[in-house]
Amino acid sequence: MKFVYQDLLNFLSEKPSKELLSEKLFQLGHEHEIVGDIFDMELTPNRGDCLSLNGLARDLNIFFGKVQPYKIYEGDILPLDFNFKNLSTDACPKISFLEIEIEGAIAAYKPYLENYFSLLGNNKVNFFTDVSNYISYELGQPTHCFDSSTMNNQLTFENKICQESFNTLLGSNINLEGKNCIFSVDNKIISLAGVMGGKSTACSSQTRKALIECAYFKPEEIIGKSIKYNLVSDAAHKFERGVDIQAQEKVLRRFVAIVKDHAAIKNFKIQTFDDTAIKQHIIPIDLERVNKILGTNIEEAQYLMILNRLGFEINNNNEVNVPSYRHDISSQNDLAEEIAKVLGYDSIKSKPIEIKNNLNESTSHIHNIKNFLVQNGFSEVINFPFAASKDNKSITIDNPLDSNKPYIRTSLKTSLLENLLSNERRQNDLIKLFEISDLYSRGDQINQEKKLGIIISGRRGHNYADFSKKLDFNYLNQILNEGIDNNIFNIEEISRADLKTKKKDKIFYTEVLIENIPPDIYKDYSFNKEKINFIKYQPVSEFPSSVRDFSFSIVDFKKYNMVIELISNFDDDILKHAYVFDFYENKKLKEIKVGVRLIFQSVLCTLSEEEIQKTLHRLLKPILDLEGVSVPGL
Amino acid sequence: MSNIDNIEPPLIKDEVGSLHPINQVKDFLLSMLADLGFQEVDGPEIESEEFNFDMLNIKKSHPARQMHDTFYIENKSHVLRTHTSPVQIRSMLEAKPPLAFSSAGKVYRKDDDATHLPMFHQVEGIYVDENVTFANLKDLIHQILLNLFGKDVEIRFRPSYFPFTEPSAEVDILSENGKWLEILGCGIVNPIVLKNCNIDPEKYSGLAFGLGVERIAMLKYGVNDIRGFYKSNLDFLGQFK
Repeated sequence: MKFVYQDLLNFLSEKPSKELLSEKLFQLGHEHEIVGDIFDMELTPNRGDCLSLNGLARDLNIFFGKVQPYKIYEGDILPLDFNFKNLSTDACPKISFLEIEIEGAIAAYKPYLENYFSLLGNNKVNFFTDVSNYISYELGQPTHCFDSSTMNNQLTFENKICQESFNTLLGSNINLEGKNCIFSVDNKIISLAGVMGGKSTACSSQTRKALIECAYFKPEEIIGKSIKYNLVSDAAHKFERGVDIQAQEKVLRRFVAIVKDHAAIKNFKIQTFDDTAIKQHIIPIDLERVNKILGTNIEEAQYLMILNRLGFEINNNNEVNVPSYRHDISSQNDLAEEIAKVLGYDSIKSKPIEIKNNLNESTSHIHNIKNFLVQNGFSEVINFPFAASKDNKSITIDNPLDSNKPYIRTSLKTSLLENLLSNERRQNDLIKLFEISDLYSRGDQINQEKKLGIIISGRRGHNYADFSKKLDFNYLNQILNEGIDNNIFNIEEISRADLKTKKKDKIFYTEVLIENIPPDIYKDYSFNKEKINFIKYQPVSEFPSSVRDFSFSIVDFKKYNMVIELISNFDDDILKHAYVFDFYENKKLKEIKVGVRLIFQSVLCTLSEEEIQKTLHRLLKPILDLEGVSVPGL
Repeated sequence: MSNIDNIEPPLIKDEVGSLHPINQVKDFLLSMLADLGFQEVDGPEIESEEFNFDMLNIKKSHPARQMHDTFYIENKSHVLRTHTSPVQIRSMLEAKPPLAFSSAGKVYRKDDDATHLPMFHQVEGIYVDENVTFANLKDLIHQILLNLFGKDVEIRFRPSYFPFTEPSAEVDILSENGKWLEILGCGIVNPIVLKNCNIDPEKYSGLAFGLGVERIAMLKYGVNDIRGFYKSNLDFLGQFK
């Protein structure tokens, strides 16, 4: 909801600055942003009563006082003899109609009405609809305007299962399905109640006689409809949060007053269909309880003053009467929150707490497993559980986010294989991943299992001893199954035949139930959960990397350490990684050969050969300047 | 060093992997809560509507229960839990006050854009005893945020709305650039929830709070794009050693 700063000031006795108004709105829990003179409110869903100038002013009365800047028609109004049938009083317990006829065309709008469109960027539609929209802004009650000339027979309201199309007043054709609150004439739907009216009965600039419908619809019956039918509806937003069931006459009298401001009225009549005995919601006064909830020592006088300024009345039985527009208030905790908001949450003093509890030692089994794997070079991943393929135990999602992935995975294998392939595409040549997750499957009931999945492919390591070796069955088997009775890790090779990849490295995978891993085998890998290193993250490049290998020949052995240090200490934005992948001592020729791999990558762009050469030159020059050090062939 | 026999080959360092940063932060938070007296409890990610919504006073009309917000499964017989609060409900049903539980894990919302994911992680805590007050809640939240962001952190409490707490608050910290950042939601446990868990709300009261693990991780590590956590990119994951 957006409002103009000056418009709200008109409802307040004091005229706070924008900053003070903003501070108090935040204090009351009404989040917002301010652009110029426009406040864009983000109200919590329980405060539908604040979706108007009048509603916000009611809440701000405690700080700035509230006035009624608008006039309503105070005179007598004749009853409307109107042919209406309410077949679903549960969904719409109270509804009122105003029939109003004007003479002649409408000249310019009065400033308060004109500003609503010009300052808030709202589009004008036609006079009656414009008044309706303005009243919703001012008082929070949506109304709908029918062109009376289209309403000749009985109007019926019903909450029923529908299966027919409906043309909205904005021209979109929607197919109604399921249960909907609708208005109909001659069994033809003319309005999706609480959401949007229809084209066939909509007012136009030619309309001189309109029927204004003003209703209370049960929020449960309206909620979700605008999203279901993809309709943007301010009315639905308000009805979903609950409007004031007592406000209908006042709203329609305000409607008359605004029309009177703009046109000569020939005739107007009102009829209310009230099918509910409205119950006053009452809460006993219990200040002790409120203080106990908040941890405060508020005095009774202050407590009563706050409630009174918020619109709560104290009745003769010393109870709190809850205003009809406050659907969110029903308990002492609710009243405590009202008091706390007015005092300001930050002004309630903290009181130390000592939590009494008998702590059980939590199991560290999973942490030990993870730590064992991390120490052995595996990286943990977390995947979404949504899967494209199913097996006979798969659970189906009724409303998947991606219709291509409507199942819950029953294995970690597909996710980990996708992770492996995506890392291969990113030019990683050593991939060791694991994931631990709950998996769910369907049986007589929903079954839950915690599993560990491990996948490997590529080089064993980047050091000179492992660079040429490949991750394989033996590697994984040795790490996981050695020293364990009954090999619990069943290792399989995943064929690359059906994978879209040119890589040839073999892929090995294992998946095991956590409960099948003996709790003591990784006990030496205890895990310190409190230890965390909050590193400063460096953005990851989305651009390809370039690899350069160099073989240094060192015949002056005194220079060996210098070469290693120059490479290790070289710092450059585009040098991602440097490591010795080959080391060979040729005792016969008295020469050391050091193979170094340099990987270049930028976070900003794909590197050009020139950029790489420039960095290479900076790195290699001091090394090659050393006597007894060379790169043969360079 | 002039003799080739004195040359030491390069040291072979064990190449260690990394724990997922989200799990690191989750475990850090749980550990902190354990130090404060909270016992870690666990529960299923596939929940009944009763435990995910009804027991928590989330009425049938609440927008969160709509198909566009919650993943329903197996002909609406269950949901993918939208928060870890049902774990606390299950635990409260089996315990008597005083009780203090923490729960953590994956939760699901039907959301997917630059700042929201369909799956993310929460850490929640609940404490129920006699005479637990909003002033106590503030003290506990201060302790948590001081642990997380240091003693100089500036904190503010704002009123908010959660069906399962009343009063409810959102808590912000003041960032280095002078803007308030929302960090967690908390409140006094709604007596309806206590009653649903067979705890006498006339005798007992409780406090509860919940943190988004991804949000804390993004702030602490300086990660700007939440999606980075779930791309399983070794260049990304390898930084969190």
